[in-house]
Amino acid sequence: MWKMCKLAGLFVAACVCHWGFATLFLYCGLNVNFMLVFAIAFCAVAQLEIGYPMAFLCGLFLDFFGAKLFGNNAFSFTVAACVVYALRERFDFNSFLPQMVTVFVLTCAVGVLNSVLLMQFTNSSLWPGTGSLVGGAFVGAVLSPFVFAVVRFVWIDLAADERL
Amino acid sequence: MVPPRKKAVKKQLYVSNRRRFLFPAAFLLISSLLMILPLEGMVVSVKAVLSYVFIPQVRLAHGAVKYAEGVSTTVQELLNAHQENRELKQQLEMDHLLTAQAESVFKENERLAAALNMTPVRPWKGVWAKVAYREPSQWNAVVIDKGFADGIEERSAVLSLEQGQEGLAGVVMEVMENTSKVLLVRDEDFSAAVVLERGQEEGLLTGGGVQPVRIKYIPLLSEVQKGDKVFTSSTSSIFPAGILVGRVRAVRQDGSFQTAQTVEIEPLVRSSAVKELFVISGQEKP
Repeated sequence: MWKMCKLAGLFVAACVCHWGFATLFLYCGLNVNFMLVFAIAFCAVAQLEIGYPMAFLCGLFLDFFGAKLFGNNAFSFTVAACVVYALRERFDFNSFLPQMVTVFVLTCAVGVLNSVLLMQFTNSSLWPGTGSLVGGAFVGAVLSPFVFAVVRFVWIDLAADERL
Repeated sequence: MVPPRKKAVKKQLYVSNRRRFLFPAAFLLISSLLMILPLEGMVVSVKAVLSYVFIPQVRLAHGAVKYAEGVSTTVQELLNAHQENRELKQQLEMDHLLTAQAESVFKENERLAAALNMTPVRPWKGVWAKVAYREPSQWNAVVIDKGFADGIEERSAVLSLEQGQEGLAGVVMEVMENTSKVLLVRDEDFSAAVVLERGQEEGLLTGGGVQPVRIKYIPLLSEVQKGDKVFTSSTSSIFPAGILVGRVRAVRQDGSFQTAQTVEIEPLVRSSAVKELFVISGQEKP
């Protein structure tokens, strides 16, 4: 129960931060995807039984506000989670550089994938612009060590609680 | 024959690999279905269910963003307040110096007045009070929240601040233990000996109620102009000399056989704006 409460707390905090950063950086013309940073951080730390549903839910949260297509973010976030779980055996996600590189590359990839999905299913484009996408990915990469640290702190404590 | 331990490890690996494949496959399938299905019917139902989960968070997030937007203004105000505080502290230090100078001037005045056998001018002492109640039918009388327990006496002069300047507000008519009734300058029953700034002519100021406040008995040949200041006179038995009462609004010379002119004045302290009053106490009364 305590585990679920902590997970819900993390998710709510991520939603609030996403909304805040998206609004804040919107004025600078940057497309910051904080939910994706959180989903990547969570998948890098948690087991896949919890990581995949959380990534899917994070994507669904973004889809909830979309008007044209429903499920594209959930799809791309799940793909991103697959990539993180594949990389986890090779990358050391405890150091900053792999965290930042992964977040940067995956944010760009998810942006491209979303646009492709939208084009495929609705014949419309939602390309945010290269500068906006890369700039947003860069901001996400800069934020990622902090997000990873928070998620790890909560998750490791949580795991310790479980053992007790 | 495969040993049982090896068999168990193999089985565990198989389950793990199956999970690794099944989890993403399931979620990708669900999201693909959501994308393929039209944005009606089932998808709308899913969205409706999700709204119960997400809307409170969105509201929370929106509130947080709104709060964060206000932070810069609050910080700016805080910085301004810090600057203002510094300026006020400097002003306070200057005021301390001025007070010390004023005290020495008062002492000097007392010495000189004693040498010339005159009544010395004393600094005003008193208490600040707030308007506790006012009767709508008697707008020119107010009840204040201080009484004889605070040192207030009957027939004490009452001042108030208006536009950053102190002016005569009225006189204390009744005193009870913790409250007092103050008659304001505009009241018909109010009167005070006043002096005009320009020619130092003295007259009797009377309140007019709904009519203008007037000064009577100003000699006909006196030069009075609109805007001249009016102060309380030293001949007044109630009010200390030199309190600003108001400014001349008009001069009337009615009738051919009048020996004096009537001056209408605009009191500095407006009856409707009175909120805090300073009641002078410790005045020597005849």
